[in-house]
Amino acid sequence: MEGASWDSALVVFEVWLSVVLGLIVLPAMFGVSLGFTDLYIKALVKTLEWATLRIQRGQKEEDALPAHLPNGIIEKDDGSMEEEIGKLRRSHPKSLAGGDFTLCDAFYFCKKGIASIVDDQVTQRFTSEELASWNLLTRTNNNFHYISVRVTIIWGLGVFIRYCILLPLRITLAVLGLSWLVIGTTLVGLLPHSNVKTWISDLIHVTCYRICARALSARIRYHNKENHPKKGGICVANHTSPIDIVILANDGCYAMVGQIHGGLMGVIQRSMVRSCPHVWFERSEMKDRHAVAKRLKDHVADKTKQPILIFPEGTCINNTSVMMFKKGSFDIGATIYPVAIKYDPQFGDAFWNSGKYNMVSYLLRMMTSWAIVCNVWYLPPMSLQDGEDAVHFANRVKSAIARQGGLVDLSWDGGLKREKVKESYKEEQQKMYSSMIVGQD
Amino acid sequence: MGSSQSTTEEHNFQLLADRTGFSLEQIRILHKRFKHLTHDKDTLRREDFEDISDLTFNPIRSQIVEAFFDKRNFGHNEVGSVEEIGFEEFLTVMSHFRPTGQHLTEEEKDKIRQEKLRFLFNMHDKDNDGTITLDEYRHVVEELLSSYPEIESETAKAIADAAMLEVASVTMGQMAPDEFYEGITFEHFLKILKGVEIETKMHIRFLNVDTTTMSCGK
Repeated sequence: MEGASWDSALVVFEVWLSVVLGLIVLPAMFGVSLGFTDLYIKALVKTLEWATLRIQRGQKEEDALPAHLPNGIIEKDDGSMEEEIGKLRRSHPKSLAGGDFTLCDAFYFCKKGIASIVDDQVTQRFTSEELASWNLLTRTNNNFHYISVRVTIIWGLGVFIRYCILLPLRITLAVLGLSWLVIGTTLVGLLPHSNVKTWISDLIHVTCYRICARALSARIRYHNKENHPKKGGICVANHTSPIDIVILANDGCYAMVGQIHGGLMGVIQRSMVRSCPHVWFERSEMKDRHAVAKRLKDHVADKTKQPILIFPEGTCINNTSVMMFKKGSFDIGATIYPVAIKYDPQFGDAFWNSGKYNMVSYLLRMMTSWAIVCNVWYLPPMSLQDGEDAVHFANRVKSAIARQGGLVDLSWDGGLKREKVKESYKEEQQKMYSSMIVGQD
Repeated sequence: MGSSQSTTEEHNFQLLADRTGFSLEQIRILHKRFKHLTHDKDTLRREDFEDISDLTFNPIRSQIVEAFFDKRNFGHNEVGSVEEIGFEEFLTVMSHFRPTGQHLTEEEKDKIRQEKLRFLFNMHDKDNDGTITLDEYRHVVEELLSSYPEIESETAKAIADAAMLEVASVTMGQMAPDEFYEGITFEHFLKILKGVEIETKMHIRFLNVDTTTMSCGK
């Protein structure tokens, strides 16, 4: 009896594996799409639209559904300090010359202060984006009201599909993809240096990433492929999650930059570097900026090496805005190829809130979302202009990326996720105000 | 999904809505913000305000933060300050900035205006003696101007003195040479700011958000 059940389990497993290999892995490796993902996404969109309509119908109020709220929950006055204070003073009974000081001025700062207590531009970037309508994932609806039987049934069905069908499938794919990468690159590393070796290693990398992309049910659209980063350049992109690497590497080979980790990540990193040159640093080396810059420069100078992929924000942001770019990579003097990545939050939230979730629970969440849908725009290459310094160049690239991706361009530092603001910023506002008052005297 | 917990919370929110004049939705949003600022604890302390980067820009930041811990703003006619506040007090202080409804009588509008001005007055009158003395006024001016190299404390003092003189001339008319102007009382304060449209300048407009279809990303 026992033998029979084991046999049947084995048979089922074999059938499962061959289905997976045949229908998903092989086409993925050759970059061929059987159209399953597209059909799936279409069906998903229809279902979500239906669900939203049902929810709306269940509402008593007739307010129209608001669009995404990327800029927060309160209306902000966009006037400059001078305009606002000018308005306040004009309504004052006695007309005053510009150089005087009145109590009204304090109101302007008071209101700005309270407004930033209610909602500020920076802290909202480090939590997931809020959606205007529920996408049938429990995790995105805290106030799970019982809406109607049908919506609940569909939601239950969704849970079943996601956890019992999609999740095992995706885990299988991910395991296959990663082991293919490790084994393949180790094997290639044994070959002597030659063009063939480079070609094979590129192939292995790309196929592995394609399998991983299938493991996330990712539907990626690349725009402006003619601007694809070339060898000897640096590719910069906005950072939302570790999945960005999979998304970008699906379309070409990059040299990664990063710290060597221990454990599984370390194994993957070490095997990758055997087949094609990546730039991995020890933790101690990261502190030494000159050493880092030198290694990047050397890599870039060698025109046979793949373009370097860097995320200048330094931390994961929630994909509604682009924060300050660190100037290190813009100082090297290579051509910069900016890339904008924008995820569609409707199908799954790709943002990694590293304070809240560790890597494993994050990956599980990714694999139990509906899908990852994103757009990648390749922007025309930029380089340092005469008389421009690295900071200004970084800001220029940042604005271009923000504009293309439809993200808010912020000059705050992503490091504020973990640290506090410097005192020097407070003095800036004071200087501005004092020049207003005293400047005219 | 914690439904029993949310009904008592909803009940509390309803009571708060009636007392402070915010709508239920706005209270929910502010509650979420409160929890975010306190890192999921129940009380807010002064240090929690340091996490708000936009606020550090503000020169009168310390006064604004103090206003949250000032008992005079809690509506119970007490004085003094506290070390930490709960959501109710947070909301009460915020209600000074709530948007005014369109359909209010003149009397109600006046009352709201007085409340807002009282809030501002308390912010400047630190020792709660009912007047903003010259020292307190100077302090405000110094905070707003910076240790800008060209402005010494003498200049800041001069500006404060000039402004006080002006207030005195507006409220008290011509003073005899030996009369001493003690400070700006609340009535003087009201008189000076009679023309200024506090109601429109001093409120936060909440965008209209439908929370049942809105979700909190997690």
